[in-house]
Amino acid sequence: MQSIINSIIKYRNLIIYLLLLFFSFNNLYNKSGLHFSKIETISISIAGFSANIIDDFKSYFDLINENELLKKENLILKKNELENYRNNTIPKSESLFPYTISANVVRNTTNKNRNFILIDKGSNDGVSIDRGVINSLGIIGIINNVSNDYSSIISILNSDLKINAIIERSSTIGSLYWDGYSPKKMILSDIPYSNQIKIGDTIVTGGMSFYFPKGIPIGSISNYKTNITEGYFEIEVSLFNDFSSLNNVYILDKLDNEQINKLISN
Amino acid sequence: MILQIFIFNNMNLFEIINPSFYLLIFILYRTTFNKTSLILLGFLAGIIIDLTSQSYGCHTIAAITVCYMRGLIENYCFGVKANLGKAMLSGVPLFNRITFFLIIILLHQLIYYSLIFFSFNFIDTIILYTLLNSIITFIVIWTITKIFYDIKR
Repeated sequence: MQSIINSIIKYRNLIIYLLLLFFSFNNLYNKSGLHFSKIETISISIAGFSANIIDDFKSYFDLINENELLKKENLILKKNELENYRNNTIPKSESLFPYTISANVVRNTTNKNRNFILIDKGSNDGVSIDRGVINSLGIIGIINNVSNDYSSIISILNSDLKINAIIERSSTIGSLYWDGYSPKKMILSDIPYSNQIKIGDTIVTGGMSFYFPKGIPIGSISNYKTNITEGYFEIEVSLFNDFSSLNNVYILDKLDNEQINKLISN
Repeated sequence: MILQIFIFNNMNLFEIINPSFYLLIFILYRTTFNKTSLILLGFLAGIIIDLTSQSYGCHTIAAITVCYMRGLIENYCFGVKANLGKAMLSGVPLFNRITFFLIIILLHQLIYYSLIFFSFNFIDTIILYTLLNSIITFIVIWTITKIFYDIKR
């Protein structure tokens, strides 16, 4: 104990300098937007690089499962394509949901209140912030930060994010958010009593945001309860996606954000 | 400090030059005084300048680093066994004193502008701002120390 105290006294100038340096850097990081975003970009690059190495090892041992998932995804896509050709709803040359970039998930969390996902595509691949991310089963999140080779996505399992969603059968608009409990369930609110809902109804994106077009699947109604005081349902939605095993994702194109912004500002 | 806040922070010559006159405190700080107090003084001065100029910690980090490294800079400029006392004013060759002033000013300005721009893409701008501001700061500080030391003598 005495030797510890002696060491502290001997190196007190260094200790005081490091403490004050840490305090000043913390101040700089919190107060200055430029330094915050630069440090965030650096941390994404480092986190992405290290997560990529670990993911490379893990994915090698997961190839069999990955193949099965890809086969299932292909079947769903083929089925959708055939149905659309039969119904003649879209021309052959256009895709159902406009995306140009596919990516792999290198790091993902589901056990925190605010969960983020790291993918292996960045600004060098044409990725920019404020773009929606989906996979074959449904929506994943929105890109919030980009470095050269990696990007960070706010997962829909993040208590800060609210998604505009509709009940597909009745096109009733609601607001979808995560209550922080189960990574397989979210809550759809703002659906008034006047609407008829059934267990099993599909919930899709409402199309009233800059991030996701209308019609992207999210989940299905698994339970609901009535809130007598407010006059709205509180609907539990089971997600189609299993967030604990995300792999391939697709980054959507920007949905004419600049034109919409101009119209709103005028 | 008052001169720095009210005059030198608002100087902005050619939109580049803002002399850091408050470095005078760290340069003229007597070496026989407590080094811990110097670091705390540097922190305090840096925080005050940051709050008045909204630089969020850049001045503080530069100031405390200069205060911490001052001992090493003194040993390099004046020698380990030199009778330091007031070496920054008299008693040592002129070249050593100029070196001492310049190293402290250059180190402070380099750290400050590196934090302000915080990007490798601006390395040429950082070097330009560091050199220009260091020269002007050196001229101001050297002139003031010369005038006041001569008056005192």
